[in-house]
Amino acid sequence: MAVPEREKLIECKDVQITFGSGRKKFVAVDHVNIHIFKGETFSLVGESGSGKTTIGRAILRINPVSSGEIFFKGRRISGKIDKALDQEVIQKCQMIFQDPMASLNERAKVDYIVSEGLINFHLYKDEEDRQMKVEKALREVGLLPEFASRFPHEFSGGQRQRIGIARALIMEPEFVVADEPISALDVSIRAQVLNLLNNLKKSRGLTYLFIAHDLSVVRFISDRIGVIHKGRIVELAESEELFLHPLHPYTKALLSAVPIPDPQLEKNKKLLVYDPSIHDYSKDKPIWNEILPGHYVWGNEKEQDQYRKEIGL
Amino acid sequence: MTREPILSAKDIEIEFTLRGKVLKAIRRCSIDLYEGETLAIVGESGSGKSVFTKSFMGMLDANGRITGGSIMYEGVDISKYKTEKEWLGIRGKKISMVMQDPMTSLNPLKKIGKQIQESIELNQGIHGEEAKRLAIDMMGRVGIIDPERRANQYPHEFSGGMRQRVVIAIACACKPHILICDEPTTALDVTIQAQILDLIRGLQRDLKMTVIYITHDLGVVANVADRVAVMYAGQIVEYGTAEEIFYYPWHPYTWALLSALPQLGVKGQPLPTIDGTPPNLFNEVKGDAFAPRNKQALAIDFEEEPPFFRVSDTHQAKTWYLDPRAPKVEHPAAILQLREKMKKGR
Repeated sequence: MAVPEREKLIECKDVQITFGSGRKKFVAVDHVNIHIFKGETFSLVGESGSGKTTIGRAILRINPVSSGEIFFKGRRISGKIDKALDQEVIQKCQMIFQDPMASLNERAKVDYIVSEGLINFHLYKDEEDRQMKVEKALREVGLLPEFASRFPHEFSGGQRQRIGIARALIMEPEFVVADEPISALDVSIRAQVLNLLNNLKKSRGLTYLFIAHDLSVVRFISDRIGVIHKGRIVELAESEELFLHPLHPYTKALLSAVPIPDPQLEKNKKLLVYDPSIHDYSKDKPIWNEILPGHYVWGNEKEQDQYRKEIGL
Repeated sequence: MTREPILSAKDIEIEFTLRGKVLKAIRRCSIDLYEGETLAIVGESGSGKSVFTKSFMGMLDANGRITGGSIMYEGVDISKYKTEKEWLGIRGKKISMVMQDPMTSLNPLKKIGKQIQESIELNQGIHGEEAKRLAIDMMGRVGIIDPERRANQYPHEFSGGMRQRVVIAIACACKPHILICDEPTTALDVTIQAQILDLIRGLQRDLKMTVIYITHDLGVVANVADRVAVMYAGQIVEYGTAEEIFYYPWHPYTWALLSALPQLGVKGQPLPTIDGTPPNLFNEVKGDAFAPRNKQALAIDFEEEPPFFRVSDTHQAKTWYLDPRAPKVEHPAAILQLREKMKKGR
């Protein structure tokens, strides 16, 4: 890699995740090789059912991997690990969920929702310390400390999402999986939440795995993007590079479908449809190849040649 | 435009009674709809865009009623309709609707074919085999492969995109005059979304329908709309052709909506946001409803409600900025950028 060696916070090696067993076995995610550098926003984009959330959940040890390994700061966190490391992963890796209407306990006060993690791990000295931490977390996401005594139903969608973010932040995580954090929000609120995530990234040095199906949003927020199709990452590159030189036909199809808020461009755009049957992988097996520094694409020998021609190598 | 509108809503007011209090959901809204066009209504949730269009079909909830204004359709004021019987002559036959969520708008206990057939039998008076044949024909038209077999399946056997196609088939089965699409693609993936928009466009051409889109996604609006109406707090604040709204908008709310789009944002810089919340419609709104959230609001915005000012024959905006006495205001950077790009493209 051209850039001086950056610290890899998360690394996935040949990860495969399956559900069920025997005849009902279903391979949700296969051959995933990604790494996420410290301090960057890495996005996974794909349609629903492509396995993007499953990867996020596997990193957080919610879904077990069936083969391959996941590393956090160079230590293996997949499979059986000792209790101390397990607890560290739970604290240092947090998640923000998609639907703020469904992800908060309706019967608990904000105070409890936000501090539940602290309580589970006894991360506070005394009651006063806990309240102070809750207050700090709420302020950080732009909510008033008074809100702590209220119930989730008293808040709007944007505010609820902020509570979800505060709940993740209070554990002082290093790595946050944001699973479609803005899909369920209104247009005017989206910008606020995106700004908040960006500010927190700067002030706290957070690393994000941003999961989304909307490529247009992803371009604004991410440093690098991985495109996933049917459980397989088909292309990975820095975000501008991916938008300027998409190689894999699926990436191209996905890019062509992105709605652009510009009537002239939008009305003249041509929709590409991805047909998976164009790949002939019966003899020539596909590989995960770094075609340009930092730009990876999934394909067999013949396709790789063609991609190389496309970028003029 | 010298064409006659096919549907003309004038000064519509809609109220809801909630826990003894009166909520003014729509405050004097007017819109004209022209034959064959695609009109998009945009706004955040709670702005009243769904309620407004539902009143065209008499589908307001039981606690809601039209308290003023008129909706002229085919020479009749349909806002005065009282009974279900009167509405049944319009609903489904003349004006039809595609709902947002294809997961909840189909009956999970009935076969797909039957559900489309039902709509045909109810509205066209065709029954039995003939209706079934029409239903299967309609399924083919909305791009469902192997319609004969699929007609015998249940909704759970269909994917989200396919279900939305079925919902569209039901809505279009009676060849309605006007099709209202209420967030038809919000619950779908981007690739599927593009296909559904294409499908609706095709059907619109074939069946000669006029389409109203309700959406908050400005990307979708740019794709489909001939004309755009922007709604805020129960009022239309600006309307014009898609080009006028995207490149030459005037209302500060339209500016804010466009500027807040991540697609138009500059990486590494914060997006301009719309602070605050929409006004509480239980209370009387004084002046321009958007003024408290507008950083460049004029003093008069808080005092008096602005009238519509004419920008061009097709474009009007409800803002004091257009008054000749108003000070000059800068258009936000994101819109100037959009305009620049458009000019270069030409």
